[in-house]
Amino acid sequence: MTIGLLLIVIVAGAYLAAHSASEWLARRFLIVSGAEYLLLGVLLGPEVSGVIRTSTVDGFAPFLTLAFGWVGALIGAQFQVRDLVRVRPDHFRIAGTEAALVLSFSAAVMAAACVWWFGLTWGEAAVPALAAGAIAVSSAPTGIAVVSRRIGARGFLARQLQVTPAVDALVAIVAFGVLLALTHAPPEGPLRPPTPTEWVVITLAIGVVSGVLFHLFVGGERHVDRLFVALAGALILSSGVAAYLRLSPLLPSLLIGFVLVNTSPARDEIRDVLARVERPLYFVLLIFAGAAWQMSGWTGAVVAIVFLAARAVAKVGGAMLAARLHGMLPSLGARWGWGLIGHGGLAVAIALNYRLFDPSELAGFVFTASLVSVIVTDVLSAHMVQALLLAEPPGPSPREGHEPTDPVSVSEESQVP
Amino acid sequence: MRRFGILVLLLGGVHLVLPLGSEGQGSQALLSFGFLILAAYTVGEVAAGMGLPKIVGYLLSGVLFGPHLLGTVTAAGAARLTPVSELAVAIIAFLAGAELRWDEVRKRGVVFGKIMTAELLLAFVAITAFLYAVGPWIPVAAELPAPEMLMFAMLFASVAIVHSPAVTMALLTETGARGPVARTTLGVVLLADVAVVLLFSLVLAVSRVIAPSTDPTVAPSLAAVLWEIGGALLIGSAMGLAVAAYLRFVGKQMVFFGVLAAFFGVEITRLAHVELLLTLLAAGFVAENTSEHGEKLRHAMERSAAPIFVVFFALSGAKIDLGQVGPLLPLVIPIAIVRAAALWGGVRIGTRWAGTTGPEDRYVWMGLVSQAGVAIGLATILGEAYPGRGPYLAGMLLALIAVNESVGPILFRRALTQSGEMRVVPDDAEATTGKNPARTNT
Repeated sequence: MTIGLLLIVIVAGAYLAAHSASEWLARRFLIVSGAEYLLLGVLLGPEVSGVIRTSTVDGFAPFLTLAFGWVGALIGAQFQVRDLVRVRPDHFRIAGTEAALVLSFSAAVMAAACVWWFGLTWGEAAVPALAAGAIAVSSAPTGIAVVSRRIGARGFLARQLQVTPAVDALVAIVAFGVLLALTHAPPEGPLRPPTPTEWVVITLAIGVVSGVLFHLFVGGERHVDRLFVALAGALILSSGVAAYLRLSPLLPSLLIGFVLVNTSPARDEIRDVLARVERPLYFVLLIFAGAAWQMSGWTGAVVAIVFLAARAVAKVGGAMLAARLHGMLPSLGARWGWGLIGHGGLAVAIALNYRLFDPSELAGFVFTASLVSVIVTDVLSAHMVQALLLAEPPGPSPREGHEPTDPVSVSEESQVP
Repeated sequence: MRRFGILVLLLGGVHLVLPLGSEGQGSQALLSFGFLILAAYTVGEVAAGMGLPKIVGYLLSGVLFGPHLLGTVTAAGAARLTPVSELAVAIIAFLAGAELRWDEVRKRGVVFGKIMTAELLLAFVAITAFLYAVGPWIPVAAELPAPEMLMFAMLFASVAIVHSPAVTMALLTETGARGPVARTTLGVVLLADVAVVLLFSLVLAVSRVIAPSTDPTVAPSLAAVLWEIGGALLIGSAMGLAVAAYLRFVGKQMVFFGVLAAFFGVEITRLAHVELLLTLLAAGFVAENTSEHGEKLRHAMERSAAPIFVVFFALSGAKIDLGQVGPLLPLVIPIAIVRAAALWGGVRIGTRWAGTTGPEDRYVWMGLVSQAGVAIGLATILGEAYPGRGPYLAGMLLALIAVNESVGPILFRRALTQSGEMRVVPDDAEATTGKNPARTNT
């Protein structure tokens, strides 16, 4: 049996098993995650069964690049300004402060760990530490959406928990995209190599130009199938260009998603098109992320523990501090950050993107830590959100005004970010 | 004008980026893939604006941006997209098989069989006779003794009579036509796909006796051919039953499942040495006709088929080397005319034999002119089977395929228009739902 055939049989079998199991787990134990696919990837990968070889993972790199791009576009498509302006600014201020605090704290702890444990200079430790920080910022929205819908939570805390993962995703992708651009190695060739600032501009330009190109391409088109061709083409092209230039495909694609939902009259159809292939790409991403994992020994385990602890402290502490700074601690409570502990698909996407970008041992440790964090936290996240929302006092929150039902669309069906 | 602006922007952007990056992890293949989708789709829209089938535009963009002309998509880049092309063939074949209903096969199978027999036989005899007659003017055949000349003419004809299920499906999807001309053309094309593989293998086996090849391992044995066809039907049927079971017991994530099934088809046919197109045809036919929910999967796959058609035909176009095709045109165009005339005559004989009284006798031949993937595959086998003269014959066949691939879709679209089966689907009718109102035209 060829590897390709075996792979298809296993992925199909696993999909069916996981499909049944995940519904049962969600119903019975309130476990909503894609961690089962991640574990499956680890089991199929070169470190355990060897069904998926390292060369197979490399062969699937174009699909993974496309998956990164699709994830970025899905996240960008959440930020429709027309709806965002109807959300109370307090939510964004708190979420933004929380994300900045988590990024700074996690990166600082990981940098300190690298300097102390591996004997690196602060400069050498900066890149993996900032990558880990960007990964730490992201929060899974799925558990929040499922629990909010299940118990019908519509209070200030529920709204904050819905807004924060979207802002976290934005900060994580921007931080990671800018990091890869700033640390870009100069290309070989006769041309003058672009400066780090120019690489940042190029990253942003890929997204904006692709978004504009899409507009030129479709004009006033609302036909779903034609939009699919145009959108798939624009995302494949922008992801391919970003990967070809050794930049992160996530940030340009996020810009494409943002540009499209804010300028196209067919924004609903675009969201529909993006959602059409979300799950298949997500499964591929998780399975291959698991397969790309390499044993890191005790050092990897220690880094993972440090990362988990730093992220938990940063999320809970950062959330509390952000609420206090904006005078909303009485409404949100000191423990509201526990609702953001779930790590989710975006963390896997950034971690895998970083792993493919940097084959060093240190990047491997960051990757391992991220996968461990996703597996551990996704099992617990929905329970934590439920405990928080059930404990939220009834009645109107301070200065509660009219808000749309879903200001930042976090679908229960959606698996990313 | 806007479309040309897009093409210039695309082309300029890609050429601006290329010096700054480096190939790694297949990123350039992804870049080529994205570029080809957008460029081919744009040229397809331009073609549609001129009243031509979109696939002519897709082919043209492949020729234009492919390795033989502008080189925006390099030969290596096109080669890396081969799995995409194979996947496209698998999805197209599955969709084509799913289009056939058992009821229709039972009622009209004999009609399809008679038309197919007449048109294939007449085309085969006409092309063989024509090539035999002009043999002295063909460089590699001028000095051949009569029996060998006849064999080469027959070998050439056995590939030249092949039709294209891919073009047929693409046109039916684009136009939404489902009338008697469309249904009969599809039935004949699918049936002929089995017959031509058998015929080609038979002729190749006989030719090995009369004109032994210097590389006898290339030509397949008759047993291998029988397995290639019988095994394909067997494996395809089993796959179809598995798909039907999935639809009945799970029935979710149709796009994901459809693509996975197509991938599975590509892998299993490679492993079992059976014909890919036939396997997926059988799978589609069995799945559609044994499950109440087959239509759900077909619709899901159809809705994802648009980029598949774009890429498949653009990659087919990228394989056309104008430098090689051009000098052969004086020889190939008369062959194409003889072939088309034979198809016209064959269909008229076939429809009278079958006793059909509809518009089929006037229009079906126009749907049989197109050639694409299967013919290219057989031409390649022919080229490898006879290392001496084979490559020239294969070159002639590729030139003939290029002509038929360009003219065939135009003729088929014309046939559907003239027979009144083509409905121009208004864009806003399909907006947001993706449902094709022309589908009701059965």
